[in-house]
Amino acid sequence: MLSYLISMTTFVGFFMILALALNLQWGMTGMVNFGIAGFYALGAYTSGLLTVEAGWPFLFGVAAAAVVGLVFGVALSYLSVRLRDDFLAIVTLGFAELVRLFALNEDWLTRGPRGLPIDVRPLSGVFDRDGYAIFYLGIVASAVLIAFLVNERIRRSPYGRAAKAIREDDVVAEVLGKNVLRIRIQIFGLGALYMAVAGALYAHYTQNISPDHFTPVVAIFIWMSVIAGGAGNNKGLLLGAGLVMMFLEGSRFLGEFISFMDAEKASAIRIILIGVLLILVIRFRPQGLMPEERFKGPSEI
Amino acid sequence: MEVKGIVSGYGRGDIVKGVDLAVGQGEIVTVIGPNGAGKSTMIKTVAGVVPARSGSIAVAGKEISGLSASEVARRGVAYVPQEANIFRSLTVRENLEMGAWVLPEKQAERLEMVYGFFPVLRERRDRRAGNLSGGQRQMVALGMALMVDPTALLLDEPSAGLSPKLVEEMFEIIARVNQAGVAVLMVEQNATQALKMSDHGYVLAGGQVKFSERADVLLNHTEVAELYLGVQG
Amino acid sequence: MLQVLFNGLVTGAILAPGAIGFTLMFGILRFPNFAIGAYITIGAFAILFFDQVAGWHIALAMLGGIAVTALVVWLTDLVVFRPMRQFPPISLLVVSIALSLILENVIRFIAGNDVRGFDIPLTRPVKLSGLMFTSEQLYLIALAVAAMFAMHAILKFTKLGKAMRATADNFTLAEVRGIDTDKVIAATWLIGGALAGLAGFLAGLDLVIEPLIGWHLTIPVFAAAILGGIGSPYGAMAGAVLVGLAEEMTALWFDPAYKVGVGFVIIAVLLLFRPQGLFGQPEIKK
Repeated sequence: MLSYLISMTTFVGFFMILALALNLQWGMTGMVNFGIAGFYALGAYTSGLLTVEAGWPFLFGVAAAAVVGLVFGVALSYLSVRLRDDFLAIVTLGFAELVRLFALNEDWLTRGPRGLPIDVRPLSGVFDRDGYAIFYLGIVASAVLIAFLVNERIRRSPYGRAAKAIREDDVVAEVLGKNVLRIRIQIFGLGALYMAVAGALYAHYTQNISPDHFTPVVAIFIWMSVIAGGAGNNKGLLLGAGLVMMFLEGSRFLGEFISFMDAEKASAIRIILIGVLLILVIRFRPQGLMPEERFKGPSEI
Repeated sequence: MEVKGIVSGYGRGDIVKGVDLAVGQGEIVTVIGPNGAGKSTMIKTVAGVVPARSGSIAVAGKEISGLSASEVARRGVAYVPQEANIFRSLTVRENLEMGAWVLPEKQAERLEMVYGFFPVLRERRDRRAGNLSGGQRQMVALGMALMVDPTALLLDEPSAGLSPKLVEEMFEIIARVNQAGVAVLMVEQNATQALKMSDHGYVLAGGQVKFSERADVLLNHTEVAELYLGVQG
Repeated sequence: MLQVLFNGLVTGAILAPGAIGFTLMFGILRFPNFAIGAYITIGAFAILFFDQVAGWHIALAMLGGIAVTALVVWLTDLVVFRPMRQFPPISLLVVSIALSLILENVIRFIAGNDVRGFDIPLTRPVKLSGLMFTSEQLYLIALAVAAMFAMHAILKFTKLGKAMRATADNFTLAEVRGIDTDKVIAATWLIGGALAGLAGFLAGLDLVIEPLIGWHLTIPVFAAAILGGIGSPYGAMAGAVLVGLAEEMTALWFDPAYKVGVGFVIIAVLLLFRPQGLFGQPEIKK
């Protein structure tokens, strides 16, 4: 039971990093990203392939994933930050599909649908099995903490307020002299970096990645986490990520008790429920469980 | 038409702060005032585009405040917005047909009437309205409003953006429409010209009526002339 | 080369009804409805149901499926979108993605992941001066063309169709002129749904029917609509054919598995250089 809890907490950690990334991009700056799974996969495959095929150590693999995530994030946002929000949604979604198709079809590199086994893990000889799980949870938790602190730092800085001005109104931000384009690209790139790092950590944790881990459903889980938690609120989305994971796991248990449903039907039901919940939250509590803290401007203090 | 104490605005503040107006049958009434006085918001409120927060608007004794824009249109009060007042991608004829949406059985008859007012629209009936000249676009906008056989027209700056010659033409057309028995309530920047053809005039400032006089009185009113008509000394 | 052009035309014919439906809804409701793919899936499965479970003739099954899809799509408006009419477009976009997952998994729950096809006799491909085609492909193109003519007739000659164009052009003015915009919106959902149903049939003729059939068409459909200038039904028709051609042409050099990628690249490049679409006019901003 304990090992189950540790494993679930680790998974929540991946969700939290992804949610923190989306909060940078959407919650704070207003950029819609439905390609979360794409960056997540990019990080997972980058680190996985470099460690397995090229023999890089774990840390280098994760660092490379971060760089690749950043590069792709910057490139994609450079191409599309001028777009209307709804078009950005389409472009990011298309990007994620392309990454998934690549992983699926380039057998020679990614081993396609059979999945890529990854046996490289940091300090794998030092701990026993249970100890290792805790150790890895520690790594993931540190990553969450770092991302959280960076996010909070950005949120409280003048830079973060500029990002928020962009979210509220591009034109106004431009008039105020904020360099809208640059900030949007930087934030999007940083978010993509988080996502890729989350992917790398995930890859070395599950030790086997395949394209069907990276479907657009991932994006829905993360959006759900951010919206339920309260867009713009870094603490809220941690709660949101936890709740979404609890829901997913809880509904899985339920599925096991209901014997007439096979795994396929049970998984369909879970996704239906998540979808319904997301719509209900947007309709009835769009500000989330923990609404964004309003900043006091200098004049209000 | 009787407007009593209407209050309206966007967001938190009120822009129109308690305005009383009356338009008699077959009258032309003009509202003038400086920019930001709330003229446009006032006429939108009467049209049902901006909801009235309080006050009453009655047409022929029947209350219309609280109705949606399309319900107001059905009651024979036709509003012509200042901007974006035509369907640019539709042909002239299609625009006019859309005007007759609430009165389909009279469409053919009204169409003839509008073409009578604006012969040039008959010539151009199959052109895309967005490709017409500014003056012709205004004709389409006004023509569309006339399709419902309105008892009252609400015009938001009908002369805006037109050349002086076209402004004159526009006012002539409004006068002709009025002679056919349609009451007109309009908001205008060309205050002098508009007042000359009006029965009654109002001066709106800061969301409230500052003066309400017969139009010819208002034209000769020294203070109004100085402040709002651009007449020196 | 002729073969590639023909195949492109077939792909374009599959995409066209969906692209027109999507663009019509966008024009009036002002948000991109990501559920268009799921609507197409519903169409394919509804027709499959009438065809195989109810045992109807395929033509009848198609009509029944189109009617069911139109109804379901309209219901999604009543239940989901209508109460949120005043919400920002981005919220509606997220809602439409959630809805798309819901619908897709409802299908999966009922029908499972199995791969199926309509119960129609396999026909031998015909070879005519170097061009290979099947009679289904000819039906497919004929149906798509018929749908385009029907759509044109509705938009151009019926009062409701003109009102749809007017409402898409200028919603506020449509209300001011007394146009019954609720009716126009309902008609838009029903017609968009019917088009998605037809797209489901066309896709089912050419591809295997599974719960993701519509999802795979989503990005090409978006590409077609954006290429044609979003909101413009005629543009969407032309856009669909162009995307179809581009997909088939690139399949000469790349693995056909990347067809979806073609749509994506078209979108990305186009949005970058000509956001109003190939045939659209620039949006006039105040």
